[in-house]
Amino acid sequence: MFAQRAGTTALRRVAGQPSTIFASNFARALTTTQARAVATQKISAEEARAVLDKQRLNRPVSPHLDIYDKQQTWFGGSIWQRFTGAGLSGGLYVFATAYLAAPYLGWHLESASLVSAFAALPVALKGAVKFVAAWPFAFHALNGVRHLAFDLGYFFSRQQIVKTGWYIWGASFVGGLYLAFFL
Amino acid sequence: MAALRSTSSVLLGAAASRPALRFAAGAASVAARRGMAQLADGATHNTTASGENANLKTFQIYRWNPDQPSEKPKMQAYTLDLNKTGPMVLDALIRIKNEIDPTLTFRRSCREGICGSCAMNINGTNTLACLCRIPAEDKAEMKIYPLPHTYVVKDLVPDLTQFYKQYKSIKPYLQRDTPSPDGKEYRQTKADRKKLDGLYECILCACCSTSCPSYWWNSEEYLGPAILLQSYRWLVDSRDEKTLQRQDALNNSMSLYRCHTILNCTRTCPKGLNPGLAIQQIKKQMAF
Amino acid sequence: MASIARSSLLRQVAAKPTNSLIANAARATAFHTTARRDILPPLPQKVKGTVNDAAPVPPPSPSHGSYHWTFDRLVAASLIPITVAPFAAGSLNPTMDAILGATILIHSHTGFQNIIVDYVPQYRTPRARKIFTWGLNAATVVVGIALYEYETNDVGITETIKRVWAA
Repeated sequence: MFAQRAGTTALRRVAGQPSTIFASNFARALTTTQARAVATQKISAEEARAVLDKQRLNRPVSPHLDIYDKQQTWFGGSIWQRFTGAGLSGGLYVFATAYLAAPYLGWHLESASLVSAFAALPVALKGAVKFVAAWPFAFHALNGVRHLAFDLGYFFSRQQIVKTGWYIWGASFVGGLYLAFFL
Repeated sequence: MAALRSTSSVLLGAAASRPALRFAAGAASVAARRGMAQLADGATHNTTASGENANLKTFQIYRWNPDQPSEKPKMQAYTLDLNKTGPMVLDALIRIKNEIDPTLTFRRSCREGICGSCAMNINGTNTLACLCRIPAEDKAEMKIYPLPHTYVVKDLVPDLTQFYKQYKSIKPYLQRDTPSPDGKEYRQTKADRKKLDGLYECILCACCSTSCPSYWWNSEEYLGPAILLQSYRWLVDSRDEKTLQRQDALNNSMSLYRCHTILNCTRTCPKGLNPGLAIQQIKKQMAF
Repeated sequence: MASIARSSLLRQVAAKPTNSLIANAARATAFHTTARRDILPPLPQKVKGTVNDAAPVPPPSPSHGSYHWTFDRLVAASLIPITVAPFAAGSLNPTMDAILGATILIHSHTGFQNIIVDYVPQYRTPRARKIFTWGLNAATVVVGIALYEYETNDVGITETIKRVWAA
């Protein structure tokens, strides 16, 4: 950075206003190394900024989600906390809104009809539906406790972050299966 | 290009008064002078892969040239013999620049993890190229990108303007009104000084901030882990008297509270610091 | 600033020499990972003010900051006993059930709020932000009414889950 800036000023000074002291230094430098006639122009600070602003508009954004360590982005406890929470709450919001609208639309969403409809499902499907509800709940609850522990300042070392992250994945699957099939 | 660079760096050598600058200039001009001569060398070595015990490693490097803005960024592969390369990724990058492709652009300075210039994304995590060993035992290609979700100036050089502007916004200097009792210096107990350990070592390389998804999406308003760690460094400083004002500056929905303890920051910090913990301490300080 | 000035100077001087050796030595592959499918792709870079101006500091508002955060954590922490208690106790208690419903509703609302604040930036899409925020408020009110109806006219959350699970 420094080297760059100094190089620029050097170039600009040569091009613009060759001071005598600098010129003599320059001449001394020339005796040992090659030199090229450099065609430069002096620009004001505003012009320089305008050039920079124009170049900034062309700049690409470096890749992020696609290239970052998948274990930390796609399998991160934090984003799955959000996915599972949004899934559970979204389910609640959809069900509750449907429940309010049901009398006007002729739907039957009372607990009795829900229970009888669920009882009519084949066993495998019952288990699957239960697991689809139970795993996000288990994950959100367990990881929620982990996040509360974070908020109190626990488990902040690098190893603990990685380890507890994997424990949550394991425990949530065990918990989800238990809730779905053994309860 | 190389010739021009050598001229400018020689000029720099003549004009520079500081030894650090002179060192940089010397290295650059040597590199530039050597660049042309060894280009053929590097190329043949690269294609024929000479020697029976050559330990070849391919580096996939992100390239984008501002002089051809319409061209999309691309990945370019360079193969080096690790037996002739230093142990760190920065050594490999410098060797590629010297011997294969002088147009490859990246920042580097101290090569020992104290300046933070060579922060980049290597094999999926942000780190300093100078502190990142090349895994010699496995043959897999190494992938090198600029810091994630930053505007790219050229190749591996990101624009950190917003990062520095945010750093300035937290007033990273001692603020106090009362003079010291002895009129000489502001004293601190050993315990108070100890609180700054793990904070003052931050070199602002931006590895943590650019690893944070929250910062990716909201860098306009969210300060990000590095700046918040710096902020905490002044919040816990027993000599600073503007703690309340500093807290007020963070007390809104964006500046601090976009942190959702994702903790990519702590996992990526090349200096082994804990920005996640620092942010948690700020939240705890401000909780009630 | 420095780098841009320099690159423009350089560009005027030297058209880059095309070197076949470079072309041979380095295999170039197309780069596929630019995010084309993003909903809100990053804007072209614009820097407000000069590089030496600090980023603006928003005015303090604890109700969106520290109070909000603390309240969120208290609600989340209280959910642990409130969720476990009715199932553990095994008895049907309408008050407990109502508290459970209300707490879940608050927790859901602040959760969705966080999602909106994260992904619908105020500075960039102020109208969408407004629509989402008020949409969420309306939805929460509707769900609140629905939960009230469910608690008063039906068997309640805990009992429903118990019966469905046993079915």
